[in-house]
Order: sequence, then structure tokens, then C-alpha cells
Amino acid sequence: MKRVISIAIVSLVILSLVLVGGVYSGNVTKAATKEGKITIWAWDPNFNIAIMNEASNRYKKINPKVKFEIANMAKADVEQKLNTVLASGVKTGLPEIVLIEDYNAQKYLTSYPGAFADLTKHFNYKDFAQYKVSLMTLKGKVYGVPFDSGVVGWFYRSDYFSKAGFKANDLINITWDKFIEMGKIIKQKTGKYMVGFDPYDGGLMRIMLQSAGRWYFDKNGKVDIANNPVLKEALISYKKVVDSGIAKKVSGWNQWVASFNNGEVASVVTGVWIIGSIKAEKSQSGKWAVAPVPRLNIKGSVNASNLGGSSWYVLQNSKYRDIAIDFLKQIYAKDIDFYQKILIERGAVGTYLPAQKGKAYTASDPFFGGQKIFVHFSNWMKNIPSVNYGLYTYEADSAIMAVMPDVYSGKLSVDAALKKAEEQFKNKVGQ
Amino acid sequence: MKKDTKIKNLIVYIFLIIMSIVSVFPFFWMIVGMTNKSVDIIKGKLTFGNALIENFNNLFSNYEVGRIIINSFKISLTIVIGSLLISSMAAYGFEFYPSKIREKIYAILLATMMIPFAALMVPLFRLMVAFNLLDSHWGVILPMLPSVFLIFFFRQSFKLYPKEIIMAARVDGASELRIFLSIVFPSMKSTYAAAAIYSFMTSWNSYLWPLIVLQSDEQKTMTLLVSTLSSGYNPDFGVIMTTVVLATLPMIIVFFGLQKYFVQGILGSVKQ
Repeated sequence: MKRVISIAIVSLVILSLVLVGGVYSGNVTKAATKEGKITIWAWDPNFNIAIMNEASNRYKKINPKVKFEIANMAKADVEQKLNTVLASGVKTGLPEIVLIEDYNAQKYLTSYPGAFADLTKHFNYKDFAQYKVSLMTLKGKVYGVPFDSGVVGWFYRSDYFSKAGFKANDLINITWDKFIEMGKIIKQKTGKYMVGFDPYDGGLMRIMLQSAGRWYFDKNGKVDIANNPVLKEALISYKKVVDSGIAKKVSGWNQWVASFNNGEVASVVTGVWIIGSIKAEKSQSGKWAVAPVPRLNIKGSVNASNLGGSSWYVLQNSKYRDIAIDFLKQIYAKDIDFYQKILIERGAVGTYLPAQKGKAYTASDPFFGGQKIFVHFSNWMKNIPSVNYGLYTYEADSAIMAVMPDVYSGKLSVDAALKKAEEQFKNKVGQ
Repeated sequence: MKKDTKIKNLIVYIFLIIMSIVSVFPFFWMIVGMTNKSVDIIKGKLTFGNALIENFNNLFSNYEVGRIIINSFKISLTIVIGSLLISSMAAYGFEFYPSKIREKIYAILLATMMIPFAALMVPLFRLMVAFNLLDSHWGVILPMLPSVFLIFFFRQSFKLYPKEIIMAARVDGASELRIFLSIVFPSMKSTYAAAAIYSFMTSWNSYLWPLIVLQSDEQKTMTLLVSTLSSGYNPDFGVIMTTVVLATLPMIIVFFGLQKYFVQGILGSVKQ
């Protein structure tokens, strides 16, 4: 009996030692020494904010002493605030983490040197989609944590397309010229337009450019408009789309969304983030499918591109910088389950590659006729060519769009239009 | 001749009817939108729907609208009271205290209206940081208290005010504060009402400066809420319309409440 009791006591002691040792070793001990409040600025309550809430809840389990304050603002507001505070040079009033749209990343990194923390050594950037990493790299240093992808898909109404006699395979790896041809047949056979198209929106232009690995700027960030063969081809394609009559002309975002919610158009070519708006019209469930984006009729253009997307940046002078970095590391560069959850709940396609073998990425979607759409998006994402977005993407975009009316009317040749756009751009930004 | 005026009247009325439809339409659309789902609003539905309660629920369950409205009222009312007091006293001084350099100072003051706010923003932000007023409502209120426009507006009204009354009060030994509070103030109600409407509208609608100063969600105002809701890849227009209606209501109430005085007040300062 005595022996039994002593064995029990000894094993209890050993067990408790193991338990205590477990608690006080590894991450938990380290985490217990960290306290602080991480402030985050981002936009879109249903997307970025909701995702950050999820991420922060997960981190609180690893490190319960950290508090979060996630400020929800409009995108323009985040930018306005960030610009004002950074320009004022004061070190208070900044968050730990801020969301920056990819097109503007280089502008912030160059305009405010030293403002953002160098994260090169903290993350294994090979785990992220390369086109995302390159846009947050300046002089060999990486300053952000890649977040959502704007990988482009060609969303189409399979019912309209089959009515016009097209099969899913007919849509794979085609050029924009073929796209326009198909659009004409669709129009003829179903009476529907191929796409809703705002002739003065540069989104499609940016999709076309990136698919060929070019931009309004060259690799060194120098303006590359007047003699840019890819841009020239993109302009020609814009004119062809307008001239062919396959596009329902819309003005602005709402009309564009209405064009496919109403069932007036047969397809949408845009970033993966549009899925939410497509699915908003529940009556169209099962009628949609997705195919790779058409490519330009030019060497080097691939059937993969990107539109939009944003990433997280840590402010160098923020109070709890190190905790913020650890937070991003633990969740955004480690937690594969997190990426499954945000994909299912928010439709967010992350750019952390190891997460893309998870369950959610390989599930089939009844709204898209049972297609495993995210498997495709993951594959296309890896093929998106890297480009340098430069400092003035939106300015270049509007310079191009300003000459488009003359291109459509035939008043200006494409070459002349590009030349004029480059001049106007240079005047505007003083280059 | 008679026929001619009839036709003229007809044209005028048709024009007015069209114009009133055009100007009332946004309000109508806003109210209709409040009762519809986002997807219907995007499609351009112009009839009343049944999503009103859903929209309200979505708005109130996701945002602390009550506190946001209180924040807006707190800021706006403080600014209205403060700026009316400061501006009217300043205008009184400019009008009734003769001095050699007052017109020069007044001209400089008016000239500052030309400086766009964006140019002042960064230094003002630094000032607020130095005063430790970041993320506080006083940080929003203080820079908005002095209003050159209101000083100008009050001064124009005071120009009509019979100076003899003030002289007489001074002779009777009334203090300047007493003259201002018990003689000038009561007789200028309509001017104050007009100024109050103007001040309330600008402070209620002010956006850029609260955006910069206020940091946390607890301190937010209505305009910031509307702006927050409108951004995003998939904005819920039903909720946005509901918020916009809520944000517009106080202004409409203030305007109609003070409308009677408003016209008099504007006339008073323009009649010169």
C-alpha cells in the first residue's frame, strides 16, 4: 500500500513538474513578458477590419496581455491621416500597423524614408507570392507583410455562354482579340453584352499591363508611357472593345456592379475580391463560372494578372513595434487555419502560399456551379508577373484616361495619344 | 397680352416644378434607399422596400451609432455656442470701438479666409500634439471656434444697428458687457439664428479636421461614420442610406426650427 501511495506521489510530482515546465517554456513565457496595445488603421469593415479582428483574437490566445485597437476608416481617410501625421514629423499619433494599398506602397516608402520598419529579416518572403513582395521592396529591403491578392479572373455566366455554344475549355488561355470575337457571338446569340465597361476607368488597362509584366513605369521607377509597346497594345484593345459593341457602357462602380447583378452582361473581368458583389445577387447562384484572364496579343503576356490588393506595414516609431511584428509573424506568416477562415468567411485570398493547400482553397463552390475556383486563383496568382508600381500609378492612370476620348473618336492615333499622355503626366508630377 | 403672361407663367411653373423635382430627388432617393437592400439600390430601384428594419439592425449592431450621434452633437453645439459668442463679440468690437488700425486688422483677418485649410493642417496638427489634445473632442472644437466669416457676417449686421442707442447706454453708465448682453444681443436674434444655422451646418458636416485629430472609434462623429461605411469593396448601400438620413435629420430640424429668423438674418446683413 505504502508503495502504491509513494508511486502516486512521485508521479504526481513529475506530472506537475512537466506541466509547469511546459507552461514556462517556449512561446508562452516569452509572450507573457510582452504587454502593450497595438493600434491598427485599415479600411473596409467587412473585409480588412473583420479579418484583423479575427487575427487579433487568434493572437490574444498566444499572448493574452496584448490589447488591440482596430480603427475602421475609409481608405482615403487612412491615407490622409497617414500623410498628415508623417508630414508633421511628430512621433505620436501613429498606429503600430497600417494597411497600404499596393499601388501606393512605393510612394509612401520613398516619401517617408525611415517611417516604416524594415521587416526583411523577420519574415521568410519566399513563402509569399513574389509579385507582392517586390512591390514592397525598396533598395533590397522589404517593408511590408503581403496580405490580400487582387489576382484577376474572368467571371462568366455559364448559362449565357453555353447558350451561345461555348464550352468551358473555349475560354482557357485566349487573347483579348479572341475575347472580343466571342463577345460578338454572345451578343448575337443571347442579346447580352460581353462585359460592363467604363471606358474611362483604368482598371482593365492595369490588368492588361501587369499580365505582360510592364507598367506605366520601368523597373527603376522611370516613367514609361510614350514608347511602351504593352501600353500601346492595351490602348488598342480598349478601343477595340469600345468599337466592337460588345461592352455595355457604364459610368462608375455602382453601374458596373449593377450590370452583372442585373444579368445584363455575360462576364466580368476583374480582381478576385469582386466575388462578394457577384454573390450578392443570390438568384444567379449556380450560373457563374471562372476562367483565366485573357492575355494581350504580345510576346510575354500571360493569362494571369492582378488588380488592387493591399498589405500591412509596421511603423518604425510606434510604441509597440516589436509586438506588432510578432503579431503579424504569428498570424499572417504561420497560421494556415486563419487563412482558411478568412477565405470562407470574407472571400479574402491571402498571398501566403503555404496556406493555399488548405481545405478552404480546395473546396468547390455551388455558386460557381461546383467549380473549385480558389484552386485556379492560387495557380494564377503564382504566375502574376512582378512590376514596379512606381510612385504615381493613379496620376499616370488619369493622364492616360484623359486622352482616351480622342482615341475613341479617332482624333488622335494611339502613338500620339501616348505621347500626349506622357507629357501631361510629366507636367502634373513635375518630372 | 394676357395670353402672353399666361404662357410665360406656365413656362415658369414648369421650370420650377422640374427644378424642385431635381432638388428633392436626392432626399427621396435617400429615404427610399433606407428601406431597400444594397443590391436593389445598386440596380436603381426607386420604390419603397421592406429592408428598413434590417438596415437599422445592421447599422446599430455594428456601430455605436448612439454614441457617435452624441459625439457629433457635443462637438457641434459647443462650436455653435462658442463661435457665436466669440464672433459676435469680435464683430461688436470691430464695429463700435473706433481705432486707427482696426480696418487694417480687419482686412488681414478677411485675407486669412483665402488660405485653404489643407495648408494649415500639418502645423495645426503639431500644435494639437503639443497641447496633448490628440484624440479629444477639444482638439476638434478649439481650432473651429474662431470663424472669420461669422465675424464678417455679424459686423455687417451691426452696421445697421443705431449707434445712438449704444452711446446713450454708455452715457447712462452701462458697462460694455451689459450693453452687449442686454441691449445688442436681444435685438439681433435673427442674425444669431442665421449664424447658428451656418455654424451648426459647418461643424456638423466638418470632416477633414475631425478625421485628422480623432483617432479612436469612441470619439468618431457622424461624418466619419458615413465615410467609413462608404468605403470598402462591397459597401452596403442600404446601411449607408440609413446613416445618411440619420446624419441629415438634425440639420433639417435645426434649419426648419430657425428658418423664420434665418431669412430675416440674411436680409439684415445683406441689405446694407
